[in-house]
Amino acid sequence: MSARRIYFVVSILVLAALPWLIATPYWRGILVLCAMNVLLALSLNLVIGYTGQLNLGQSAFFGIGAYVSTILVKSYGWNFWLAAVAAVGAAGLLGLALAAFAVRLRGHYLAIASLGFAVITYQVLVNWENVTQGVRGIYGIMPPFSHPAALFYLVAGIAVLVYVLIDNLVRSPVGDSLRAIREDEVSAASLGINRALWKAFAFCVGAAIAGLAGCFYPGFVGTLVPDAFNIVESFTMMAMVIVGGMGTMIGPVLGAIVLTFLPELLRGFGELRLMIYGIALTLVVLFMPGGMVQAWMALRARLR
Amino acid sequence: MKLALKGAILAFVCATFAVQAQEKVIRVGVLMPISGPGSYFGVMGKEGIDLALEQLKGGVNGYHLQVQYEDSACSPLQATNAVKRVLDQFRPHIVIGEECSDASLAIAPILEQAKVPQLNAGSVTMKLTESGYRYVFRIFPNAAQQSLPLAKVAYDRLGARTAVILYEKTNAGNDNADGFEKPFVAMGGKVLAKIDFGRDVNDFTAIATRIASLGRVDVLPTFALEGQQVRLAQALAQAKVVRGGGGNAVQMGSIWLPYGFDQKAGQAAEGYVRIVQFDPNEKRRIVQDFIRAFRAKYGADKVPTHINSHAYDTILLIAEAVRRGATDSESIRERFSGFKGVEVTTGRISFDPKGQNSDLSVVHFVETQKDLSWKGLDW
Amino acid sequence: MVALGLTLIYGVLNQINFAHADFVTVGAFTAFFTATRFATKVLGLPDTGAYLLSMFAALGAGALLGLAVNAAVFAPLRDRGDELRPLIATIGVSVLLENAQLALFGPIPYQFDSPFARETLRIGRIFFSAQSVLVVAVSAAAIAALYGFMRFTFLGKALRAVAQDRETAGLMGINPNLLIALTIVIASALAGMAGALLGPVLVLSPFAGASVIVKAFAIVIIGGFGNMQGTILAGILVGVIEAFTVQYLGSGLIDLVVFAMLLLMLVLRPTGLIAERKEENV
Repeated sequence: MSARRIYFVVSILVLAALPWLIATPYWRGILVLCAMNVLLALSLNLVIGYTGQLNLGQSAFFGIGAYVSTILVKSYGWNFWLAAVAAVGAAGLLGLALAAFAVRLRGHYLAIASLGFAVITYQVLVNWENVTQGVRGIYGIMPPFSHPAALFYLVAGIAVLVYVLIDNLVRSPVGDSLRAIREDEVSAASLGINRALWKAFAFCVGAAIAGLAGCFYPGFVGTLVPDAFNIVESFTMMAMVIVGGMGTMIGPVLGAIVLTFLPELLRGFGELRLMIYGIALTLVVLFMPGGMVQAWMALRARLR
Repeated sequence: MKLALKGAILAFVCATFAVQAQEKVIRVGVLMPISGPGSYFGVMGKEGIDLALEQLKGGVNGYHLQVQYEDSACSPLQATNAVKRVLDQFRPHIVIGEECSDASLAIAPILEQAKVPQLNAGSVTMKLTESGYRYVFRIFPNAAQQSLPLAKVAYDRLGARTAVILYEKTNAGNDNADGFEKPFVAMGGKVLAKIDFGRDVNDFTAIATRIASLGRVDVLPTFALEGQQVRLAQALAQAKVVRGGGGNAVQMGSIWLPYGFDQKAGQAAEGYVRIVQFDPNEKRRIVQDFIRAFRAKYGADKVPTHINSHAYDTILLIAEAVRRGATDSESIRERFSGFKGVEVTTGRISFDPKGQNSDLSVVHFVETQKDLSWKGLDW
Repeated sequence: MVALGLTLIYGVLNQINFAHADFVTVGAFTAFFTATRFATKVLGLPDTGAYLLSMFAALGAGALLGLAVNAAVFAPLRDRGDELRPLIATIGVSVLLENAQLALFGPIPYQFDSPFARETLRIGRIFFSAQSVLVVAVSAAAIAALYGFMRFTFLGKALRAVAQDRETAGLMGINPNLLIALTIVIASALAGMAGALLGPVLVLSPFAGASVIVKAFAIVIIGGFGNMQGTILAGILVGVIEAFTVQYLGSGLIDLVVFAMLLLMLVLRPTGLIAERKEENV
């Protein structure tokens, strides 16, 4: 237990020092993005990793969070924090709507249903022009804090908080219920676990966290267009979870960090950048099927 | 002896100056979409810029132009990341880009804050030069400058009274469509329908069938990229709506279509009336020199597109600013503001106080002939 | 046709292939270069012959690609028996293929003219291009061939056996790995040929496939995963719905309507238009 504490304290210290170790606006910006991606990977991992529900629609909740918070601030003059609460609530509710499908569907059917859900959300963002401005986009959005280090502390702080909450959640009896559903739905039901309730719970919480991440995105970029929440974004989030290690706590965090920094570090390669990214992604899945976490454990076991 | 010493000192001083002069550079950051579907622009833009740089190898006013490309992928997020990176690591005096409206709008406030001029060559959205940015300059005609002449020509020259507007569902498409509709309706024309479509639509049969059912349509102003325009023109010809298919309607297009579109669309393109930013048939010397150099570098069978040429022009304009004594971001901005009728391959450039080029010599009307060549129209 | 390849892979493998779209694009480019550079210039074939030849070239290219992807990705991951990792791996393959083609062919759209693309058939005010008739005809032929193969040949029966129960089929002396490889090759070859057929219809650039794949998924689901008749019916249905949406609602809403229908289908009849007897959905 104390080793865990030490790890925790060390990571907090590293986080606190990071914006000052790499102090250029560009890398600070990437740090903010990375913290946002960690939140997203954590949210998706709760649904895929712990509850075993194949969800390809996470970008929808990210987008809902971004749009609801921005519209409330820009068009209705709400306070950012109040708008963020509303946005999280809206994303959570929408998560419940998707959960209604998850209760009936499994495996690839759910995957495609969630994909369809994300397509519809995207299309609504594009077509409901009176409210979302459609493809014209919303411009000049201010972040809650203008200093990039402050924004990083905020998003990273929230990511740490969410990490701790989920960590406690999955080690509680609730976590046992979720895992039971993942392993075998029928026997979970026979153990007296209410599948519908817990699936809905996982989807709702996962969606709310993604919505929360969405609140920080528009202020960070300054611009909000529907294209940012294309279904491709869902695949990227999924890749983060898988590359890191699905169903572990630290895995998605590592996956998010690697997949945020990798494309940026490859910028030097110009046109080859995305080719290398594609190869790397395939190879990681082929040779580290359990993600980085499992690969690391296997390596450690061999070294002993 | 003293004289010799003086001479030596003089020679030394001169040599130092020469070395310094050699090291004086103007750093130009270029944000282009190099990955994703937007790389359509990036690839051609890079060709134009590389050619201009090669021609300016000797330097301008003792300055060398040094360029760094960044991939901004046509997306606001990628563009903000790329512009921050280029500002941090390259410290450019000026930034060229982006092509896509969304990305250009996203980087404008960042460059404004960094006090680095943005020279935009390919975005049409009105907002870019209407938002009060001091460091934005654009040589591309904006949506109103493209659509207003189209509407006038449609109403006055072609005698059109009814129109169906076709446009891709993007910032640029929307602005161009509105820019046509308002003046056309104000003149007394009637817009029967506005039909939009996403960039991933390939099959225009349903849209063409719908237009065929709308009754008499005089003009079809169309705002989309080359690939979709080819399919659209062919579908409209098959539906016997446009002249190329034996119908009555004239399809009209904006600058978006490069030279070479007509050959790809084939007979369907016949009778197409549009404005272009760059007309390779123009007799001006700078145009013909550019085409010759372009062919020498990229192949004898190639004709430069407007994307090649407006990217080429951005470097010419920066060189002109340097020639007029610009040495850093602030002085480039000042020189740009004073540009009046600077000749480049697309026409003449005069920046208005908002940073928009106000000289409409960059808008050329052409009509596609039966043999698919262009006939320049003197409108 | 794209949907058919997907449904075949899914039916036998329980596996979604996100790189399928890029197989279509590769097929289209293969056909394009065969028809315009090789067949007419080197062999001196007339246009129609060149186009037909290019269709087989695309078929071959798709098959080879399927073979390679099976060997590199699906086979090594199959034994671990989970569905997510191959899915992510195919996303990686898709990114790789798309960008490799971008590096090779550039982003500027090619104009691929088949001899059929400019012919028009008319029935009253409705018109089709001869190319779209060709697409339907070849698809129908491919479907019939596939159907016959699955029903009546030993291999086809073996394939269906593998689809139903991999282990039992293995016990009965069927080599499931070989058959799965065969499935992927057939499905990929179909995708390649679809590319050749759609090349003259699509905007031919390295991103061409991506524009059809999401809709193909919708068709597969509406028709029922792994159900061939359903897929065909759903394809027709989606086409009709698109036409009506453009006419009465606006072309921007196509995806919205199609996917709303998809979700509706999933709630009402999760097994697809033509329900399979196998009750798998809890």
